[in-house]
Amino acid sequence: MIRKNQFFLLLLLPALSLLALFILAPVGQSFFLSFHRVISGLPQLGEAMVGFENYRDLFHDPIAHHSLWTTVIFVGVTTFFELLIGLFLALLMHNHFPGRGALRAAVLIPWAIPTVVAAQMWRFLMNDAYGMLNYLAFGTETASYVPWLAYPATALGAIMLADIWKTASFAALLILAGLQVIPPEIHQAARVEGAGTWRRFRHITWPLIRPAVMVALLFRTIDAFRVFDLAYVLTQGGPADATNVLQLYGYKKMFVEGWMGYGSAISVCIFTMALFLAVVYVRAVGRRLLEARV
Amino acid sequence: MKRLLSGIAVCGILILWGSWICGAAAEPKTTEIVFLTWKPGQPEAWDKLIARFHEKHPRITVKRQVSPHSSTEYHAIITQRLKNKDASVDVFLMDVVWPPEFANAGWALDLTSRFPEAEQKKFLKGPVSAGTWQGKIYGVPCYLAAGLFYYRKDLLKKYHMAPPGTWSEMIQQGEVILQEEKDPGLNIYSAQFKQYEGLVCNMLEFLRSNGGGILDRNTGRVLLDRPPALEAIGFVRDQIIGKAAPRGVVTYEEPESLSLFTQGKAVFHRNWPYAWAVANDPQKSAISGKVGVGLLPAFKGHDHAATLGGWHFGINTFSRHPDAAWQFICFMTSIESQKTLALEAGLAPTRKSVYEDPTIQQKMPHLIAFLPSFEKAASRPPSPIYPMLSQELQRFFSTAIIKKNVALPSLARTSAGRLKKLLALEAMMAR
Repeated sequence: MIRKNQFFLLLLLPALSLLALFILAPVGQSFFLSFHRVISGLPQLGEAMVGFENYRDLFHDPIAHHSLWTTVIFVGVTTFFELLIGLFLALLMHNHFPGRGALRAAVLIPWAIPTVVAAQMWRFLMNDAYGMLNYLAFGTETASYVPWLAYPATALGAIMLADIWKTASFAALLILAGLQVIPPEIHQAARVEGAGTWRRFRHITWPLIRPAVMVALLFRTIDAFRVFDLAYVLTQGGPADATNVLQLYGYKKMFVEGWMGYGSAISVCIFTMALFLAVVYVRAVGRRLLEARV
Repeated sequence: MKRLLSGIAVCGILILWGSWICGAAAEPKTTEIVFLTWKPGQPEAWDKLIARFHEKHPRITVKRQVSPHSSTEYHAIITQRLKNKDASVDVFLMDVVWPPEFANAGWALDLTSRFPEAEQKKFLKGPVSAGTWQGKIYGVPCYLAAGLFYYRKDLLKKYHMAPPGTWSEMIQQGEVILQEEKDPGLNIYSAQFKQYEGLVCNMLEFLRSNGGGILDRNTGRVLLDRPPALEAIGFVRDQIIGKAAPRGVVTYEEPESLSLFTQGKAVFHRNWPYAWAVANDPQKSAISGKVGVGLLPAFKGHDHAATLGGWHFGINTFSRHPDAAWQFICFMTSIESQKTLALEAGLAPTRKSVYEDPTIQQKMPHLIAFLPSFEKAASRPPSPIYPMLSQELQRFFSTAIIKKNVALPSLARTSAGRLKKLLALEAMMAR
């Protein structure tokens, strides 16, 4: 028995060592750096161990608080709308109608576009001089064109819109998978019993796709929490720090300012929060899945 | 059949590979140096110079690696490599604010013995002192820049106006022109107010032209929360953003603000010297030939100010070919090369003697006219932690000019406090 286990471990070794190299090592390095004062422009400071100083500063850093709030608002709004729109899209794609294949392909296009490219595209769409969005709203009245990215609220809104547009289809895909495993007999039976569309959705479809929705929620929340590229391309954190999401703040500290210790502390905090969310969700989803099977 | 074909293909590849190895071994030894730069606006001029260098120095090959145009992104890339003691870069361009950081971190080679004082004297003072840190020089000035004031010559003439000397005069003139022209798309002013490095340059000009500043490196005092600075920032917030300049300027870097001007949608415009060539290029500009250029306005009773910009050449401390790299720098900063960069890319020379050259005097009279302002252009605070200071300044200025309901003095006090904290980090190093 022990021998057999050892053999399994041996087989797992390549995969585990890859994981260790590319995941555990960087995470460990971040933890290590976050307890040190490392500033790349000031090597004379050495790499002094400073204990929790970076974390203490971070918890008292109003800019970080603001970034956290911005990120939380971003996560809440985008996840909500992505799941809502994803659910509608999934229900639509689940139906049989001519052109369904084309619709399914079309829905997936935004998700397949690299985020940086999509962000650049939205930057053009929302341009204050030639943006398509302004053209749709005001036609050739160029004098009334709105600089969407110039106001703190609309700039954050723009980033959320781009994210929803881009990833609602991912939620749709996951929910669609949940829909496909519902046996059609149940619906047929309900229809025979005289249940209307809403009742069938409320009492059959919804309970059965709930685990899939939870999985979509899990992926989307954690992914939204790590938003970086949209803000980086569209606004670089501005105007007035309105789109300075946590990851961008950490990136700027680490790579722009060269403040490795502080930047690592931010990364570690994001990592911890994402991990916490993941654990909570996985537990919830796990239970739901079991319930669904019983 | 298929197998035969693929066999032949494999043999062919092997033969080619073999002959390539032998060929490489047989060639005379050349040194390859890697030149890290950003994506230039006029690549032809740089290509030409590098080709000329290859002709003159057949033993040295320059391989160019091109990074993004944005100074901040380029900085992130280059510092990542130098921090990891990457020897695959030999020579690089440094933004005018970087030498203290690169020197202090030990990334840029000390060039004092190669670039002695007698040689330094042939260059303009501002860029040379920007390349110097604690008495040693680390950067050779490639070209310099300073904030210039562009205006619509034709419109000013039409309404019998002289280029404005003060900021409020600029706004008054602009209001008259806008009223008379009745063009809803026309704006008074266009400049760079996005939350990025350029915002610091623009705001420093407003602060300096009101007798203020960001911080005084000699006394170590932060000037950001002093009355002259607050007054200037208040002026930008209340009179420029969304008034003289369209609200969109808070998303503008140089290209966007320049295109507003070249489309004829702004009467006045602030930019670096390169904008002159673009604004007068009929292919790219609707107002070519109608552009005037001069000193930026000041606040009443104060001197004009321009922020010093430009780029230096530096050598990587970890480079294995510092001598070849130095030869390349000497060539690129020679009188001839600076002339080429000036005439073909619109870049202002750093060598004094180039300004006396007849071709330059004839073709670029505006550069000659700016020599005095180039010489006293205001530098951003030199510091090995400038990127940290800059991030704080960008945040502060962006918030201060956008959020009209926030009390400016307290905002400035908070930011000044943060700057002092950062400077304390820098001071720790000396101990």
